[in-house]
Amino acid sequence: MIEIEHLTKRYGAAAIVDDVSFRVEEGTVAAVVGTSGAGKSTLLRMINRLVEPSAGRVLIDGQDTMAIPEDALRHRIGYVIQGYGLFPHRTVAENIATVPRLLGWDRRQIAARVEELLDLFGLDPAEFAKKFPHQLSGGEQQRVGVARALAARPALLLMDEPFGALDPVIRHKAQDELLSIQRRLGTTVVLVTHDMNEAFHLADRIAVMNQGRLLQYAAPAELLTRPAEAFVEQLVGSAERPFRLLSLMRVQEAVEPGTAEGEPLSVADTLHDALSRLIWLGREVLPVADASGAPVGRISVSRILAHGRARA
Amino acid sequence: MNTILQTTVPGMHSSRSHIILDRLGSVIAVLISIALFAAPFATYRANRIVAGEGRMLTEALPTAGALGVTAVILCVALCAVLARAPVIRLAAAAAGLGAVFPALGWSAGFLTPAGNTFARVSPALGFWLLTLALALLAADALTRLRLGPLARLAALAVAAGAIAGLLLSGAWNDLSLLKEYANRADSFWREARQHLWLALGSMAAACLVGLPLGILAHRFRALRAAVLQVLSIVQTVPSIALFGILIAPLGYLAAHVPLAAALGIRGIGAAPAFIALFLYSLLPVVGNTVTGLSQVPPAVTDAARGMGLSRRQRLLEVELPLALPVILAGVRIVLVQNLGLATVAALIGGGGFGTFVFQGIGQTAIDLVLLGAVPTVALSFAAAVILDAMIDLAKGPSHDRD
Repeated sequence: MIEIEHLTKRYGAAAIVDDVSFRVEEGTVAAVVGTSGAGKSTLLRMINRLVEPSAGRVLIDGQDTMAIPEDALRHRIGYVIQGYGLFPHRTVAENIATVPRLLGWDRRQIAARVEELLDLFGLDPAEFAKKFPHQLSGGEQQRVGVARALAARPALLLMDEPFGALDPVIRHKAQDELLSIQRRLGTTVVLVTHDMNEAFHLADRIAVMNQGRLLQYAAPAELLTRPAEAFVEQLVGSAERPFRLLSLMRVQEAVEPGTAEGEPLSVADTLHDALSRLIWLGREVLPVADASGAPVGRISVSRILAHGRARA
Repeated sequence: MNTILQTTVPGMHSSRSHIILDRLGSVIAVLISIALFAAPFATYRANRIVAGEGRMLTEALPTAGALGVTAVILCVALCAVLARAPVIRLAAAAAGLGAVFPALGWSAGFLTPAGNTFARVSPALGFWLLTLALALLAADALTRLRLGPLARLAALAVAAGAIAGLLLSGAWNDLSLLKEYANRADSFWREARQHLWLALGSMAAACLVGLPLGILAHRFRALRAAVLQVLSIVQTVPSIALFGILIAPLGYLAAHVPLAAALGIRGIGAAPAFIALFLYSLLPVVGNTVTGLSQVPPAVTDAARGMGLSRRQRLLEVELPLALPVILAGVRIVLVQNLGLATVAALIGGGGFGTFVFQGIGQTAIDLVLLGAVPTVALSFAAAVILDAMIDLAKGPSHDRD
């Protein structure tokens, strides 16, 4: 668990980060969003002390980060940046082995861990271990960057625009992959992004920042239905609101008893996807099946629309 | 040049076959023709300081020998014009040099009257032009072969071995250059050692001081501007002036500090030469260290910090390895520059190959000048090849696409 308490960074009179406090629960993803210059990256970099706070403190599992030597602290925290910063003179395997090597793991342990991570990210060790970063595609570099950050099994992963350099198709795949690996490993993630879709797609909670201040820290749905300030409403996009809301909910939540004709939707699909299918096929209702394919009921356009409405 | 450019248009099958003339090869062929038929191959002088008379190749060798050498060289010229495969062109250049170099030694023996120890035979314009043409052909072929760094080092070793073999075989012993050498064999090797000590020693000292200075200058912006300014100013001082400037303080030091005198520091001699070369070497080393370090991508250093590499680990494991090719490029400049500049050291009694150059100028004995100049040029050339190979090796894995 990460507790950020009254964290402040001043350069001269200007406060880049101004008295920010929030808490990230174990194993969840928190996204920090805001316009450029809002202080997102500075906030993130104060967590691993790449930037020394002017005031306030960060607790990781109750321990003040100032009490830990900064290099030792960073060994325990994964760090991924836009552009990844892979070491160009080192192979993929050597890049991933960076922190375990600093921690003095033995050779066999490191080799096993590198192989495990390459497998986890769908990179064949036989093919990729000996490659150099410039021989990789953007998507492969991104995966190596995340694998390197996870090498020493950190409980916390900090990511600064980690998908910013990817094209939209690969970006979406990379986000799904990160989410599934995060769920599997139970890693706590703090992610900085200016892409609202990314924040809504990945985050359990979203922190909205503007001019160094934290405006709201809430679950994505709450951000949509109960924006704390006009700025938040503007940032999440008032026109997009119903659709974002629908993409946060699953068919499970709107399924009704009954049957319908056609190819069934899955309970795990988002309401957003379900609505698109209904519109596209020109249908009012479609059947719904569970994960094993057994029918569990049906879903209708009107029920979906009801879920996308503002709640008083 | 009668160069016919052949362009292939897609979809059109050319049934005509052109003889394609190589452009550079044509230039080389012209050089070779001038060298063979319009320039003297060797110079004959009755003694070492009188003016010489040129001897054409046909006069410089027995008829059969002259014809043989001419035939070989013409074949080489033909290859240069027509052959396209770099290996064949390289072999042709090697064969040409293999004919011309021994021929020069042979002509010296042939032209020198038996028992005459005063007569001097030295290479003339024709020989130099042939060497230039063949060296061009060889260099061009090597470039086209795109040899890797290790292969280039091997090629250098082969060339050095061939020259050493030629010299050791005695084939050139009748040549004026070797006669000058024979008269001065002891001092030649003493000055060679001195020359290398001045050039390499000052380079090593400049690396020892310049590398840390470059690292500090990279880290502290204020220091960077000051250091680079001062070193740039030093660089603009002419070498002779710098030697002169150093005489006074070093003389004072030698006279008043017994330890300095005991270490061999004097106002003239090797000490001021060494210090001047050292000062000239600092700018390339410091400048390239700063440039190399500042070219390390910021994302890489940020990631390194974020992963908890200490300042020292970042420097040794990330920044210096990535800056190494640029730093080595600075060392290459220093080495080539120092090997040349060290000749000037002889002016203030610093020794080195310059000793022969300045003695030769004083005596108008051009062979003696060559005895100093030729090894200097050969050393600079070898140093450049070796450092270039090292730079490629240092770039190695991270740049193997280019």
